[in-house]
Amino acid sequence: MSYGRFLLKRVLQGILVVWGVITVVFLLRFITPGSPVDFVAPQDASQELRQRIAAELGLNEPLYVQYVDYLVGLLNGDMGYSYIFGQEASAIVFGKLPATVELAVAATVVAVVLSIPLGVVSATRRHQPADYGATTFSLLGISTPNFWLGIMLLLVLAVQIDLFPVGRRGIAFSTAFWMLFEGNVSGMQTWLAHITLPALTLGTYFTALITRLTRSGMLDELGKSYVQAARAKGIPETLVRYRHALRNTLIPVITVVGLQLGTLIGGAVITEQVFNWPGLGQQVISAVNNRDWPVLQGSLIVIGTGFVLVNIVVDSLYAYLDPRVIE
Amino acid sequence: MTGESVDRRSFLKLAGGAAATAALAGCTGDDGGNGSGGDGNGTGGGGNQSTGGDQGTELPEPETREEYLQRANLLLHDQAPWIFLNRQYSVYGKSNRIEWEARRDERIDAYEIVPQEGTGVRITQSQMDSGLDPHDHRETTTDNIVLQSYEGLLGRDADGNIVEVLADGYERVEDGTVRFTIRQGVTFHSGEELTPADVAFSINRIVDDEVGGLVSPQSDQLSGVTGAEVVDGERAVDVSSDGINPIVFSLFASYCDIVQQSWIEENEGPFINSNMNGTGPFQLDSYEQDVSVSYTRYEDYWREPAPAETLEITAAGESSTRVNQLLGGETDIIVNVPPQDAGRVQENGNTELSPVPSTRVIYNAMVYNAEPFDSVEFRQAMNYAIDLPSIIENILAGFADPTGQPTLEGFVGYNSDVGPYESDPERAQQLVEDSGYAGAEITLHTPVGRYLGDLEIAQAVAGQIDELPNVSASVRQREFGTLAEELLDGDISTGPSFYLIGWGNATFDASQTIIPLLTTDGALTSYSNEEVDGLIDQAQSMAGEGAGSGDESGGTTEGGNSSGNSSN
Repeated sequence: MSYGRFLLKRVLQGILVVWGVITVVFLLRFITPGSPVDFVAPQDASQELRQRIAAELGLNEPLYVQYVDYLVGLLNGDMGYSYIFGQEASAIVFGKLPATVELAVAATVVAVVLSIPLGVVSATRRHQPADYGATTFSLLGISTPNFWLGIMLLLVLAVQIDLFPVGRRGIAFSTAFWMLFEGNVSGMQTWLAHITLPALTLGTYFTALITRLTRSGMLDELGKSYVQAARAKGIPETLVRYRHALRNTLIPVITVVGLQLGTLIGGAVITEQVFNWPGLGQQVISAVNNRDWPVLQGSLIVIGTGFVLVNIVVDSLYAYLDPRVIE
Repeated sequence: MTGESVDRRSFLKLAGGAAATAALAGCTGDDGGNGSGGDGNGTGGGGNQSTGGDQGTELPEPETREEYLQRANLLLHDQAPWIFLNRQYSVYGKSNRIEWEARRDERIDAYEIVPQEGTGVRITQSQMDSGLDPHDHRETTTDNIVLQSYEGLLGRDADGNIVEVLADGYERVEDGTVRFTIRQGVTFHSGEELTPADVAFSINRIVDDEVGGLVSPQSDQLSGVTGAEVVDGERAVDVSSDGINPIVFSLFASYCDIVQQSWIEENEGPFINSNMNGTGPFQLDSYEQDVSVSYTRYEDYWREPAPAETLEITAAGESSTRVNQLLGGETDIIVNVPPQDAGRVQENGNTELSPVPSTRVIYNAMVYNAEPFDSVEFRQAMNYAIDLPSIIENILAGFADPTGQPTLEGFVGYNSDVGPYESDPERAQQLVEDSGYAGAEITLHTPVGRYLGDLEIAQAVAGQIDELPNVSASVRQREFGTLAEELLDGDISTGPSFYLIGWGNATFDASQTIIPLLTTDGALTSYSNEEVDGLIDQAQSMAGEGAGSGDESGGTTEGGNSSGNSSN
């Protein structure tokens, strides 16, 4: 199978999955109690008014008509109108997306920057204090609940020591970036100050996971015959480790990093709540509490689609790095 | 004092919706009758004597509206349709950089905040607004944002007393019609002057679906109001009601923000939901939906400009985050400090707690026609079985007041002779035997995280009832939205027969608690008793008495001020 056919197959599979997500999310509304009219109409609304509102919302149509309308709307970028905000749901959802992506990417960067050196050090200094330190950190990182870690970081580093602000986004990365482009560093300083603790919190589990993966991958690679051959040829140990063993170790690591990025986009709910980060996670909680179905459906579809997209990219990258997976 | 009789069913229906106002804090639903019938344990007569419980207080024959409401409260205490729990407190945290006194109606009026350092003030709520259209929301959190820029005809002071705002006079012209005189020299933030036409338009936009391009979810907040029109040749507006509408001034003191007619008509909904053009002390500077709202002081405000030059309102859903922001000096006021964090706020040298009794009552409803709650003895037994002071002390850290009637102290119709039930497990056990329901198994449904300590309170109540040898009690946790829908679907038989819920009543009038919750046709009723219905009928057919603020005609006004609304 050619790389192009492989890619096409993955994209078609992705479209099917997204369609499934849309269908499930659409049907969820009909198996939960209550009518959207209850959230739009005044409490003393007459039956006539309620029927008028139901007609305006398209709720009097048969289910399949509503479904087709919804699909057609989505294809045109129309997710409906928020019951609560009276604005286009797509504007609300896509307005929140950058904050979540920003946080997920920052957490991923933190994780990659910390975990790969830790994993390598742990593997190359096996059974030494550095290895024990790294494995202990990994165990703690995987075991510590996000919400607890976030609150502790806030208490110690923001309230007691006053090194960081207590939550909130402060400034968008794009704004900070353009300010930096114009020679003003204060925007980037503000962005860094606000994102550090949430990114550490969200990235800790991920860091621990990648550390363990890198360590075991490196140990595996270092025991292989091509490494022994490289050493026998007199190649310096640093080159053996970082040019040969680490490169091979990174293939599965990249896969996990990509998949975790997708998870982080949908899984930042708790971190966003603790740090008051105005992203999709907070929006989902708010929409659930308010039964704001258009926003909730839109958020879930965007999260699901994001996950599928990341998967396709990772699969493509993996196939590029290791063509054997295509066969 | 006499008054025009109104059709009871139609009035109760209207008023039932009205109280649903802030009430369940965001839940919505159908207003509908719950069938009639009546408590099979009626007390037999609306006499002056308490028929149950410990009170047994003699009262004179009711003569005024307030006395009828007081009588209803006494009767309800005795009939025990609820396990009477507590008045919830609003517990704020505030920094020492500002001077500010918390209000009882859960509103934060930034005009009253005086910065001691700097010129700006920041407030952190539990959630942001649901859009800035002042007529298109129902939540206190949105009120706290839009009411910095918008104002009503009347308002309330920190203790709940009615004060004039954009109206500088108000009077009852005749039964069914009241007149507001509109203040001179008031301008919108757009620079244009406030006119009576703007006021009439604002009222009609709320009560009439055809006006202002909006089906306002606030129409039931102005229950009974049918429309408004400018008085020819005068700077005044006449407001018409369906019937005498005894609490009309109370409603206008709590609701109905005034907008500029031309601004609304010239702009689309999304623009109105993301901009503000009111007459209030702060004008919108910037708005980031669901993130923050920034204001600057309106220098041409009709009163003295606000002490604070800038204001920012943000939100943090997580209570520990709000507390940390306050302790970290990043905000000046936070809402809903949880009991477990009260000590941290109190002990920090730069912050302090500011608890204030709210207008919300927390109770356990017992549906009157479901076994075993169809027995008044059983319902009373449930009240005697619990140790309310211990619940308030241990779960709510003392930030609550015990109740023994539906109406809170300071409200019109509060009966000061009626106290909470005292804990008496032996008497409870005997009453259960008398009820014929010994061995009953009951389940208390409760939302989780909706009200301060709701689950913990429910667990304590069920635990204490379960200690009775002849009753078994357990708790079932419920998602608030689902529970609220069951309670508001207009069919009393579809919901649980025993549930914990909270009810906010910003009108400071007993009727707006009793009508929706405890009369036969109430929107959220769990009780039916002809005697209670009759007392409320009588009260609602009478205008209140007392010196209403600004009642320049000397005529009769409703009782919003007559109680004095003494604070707890």
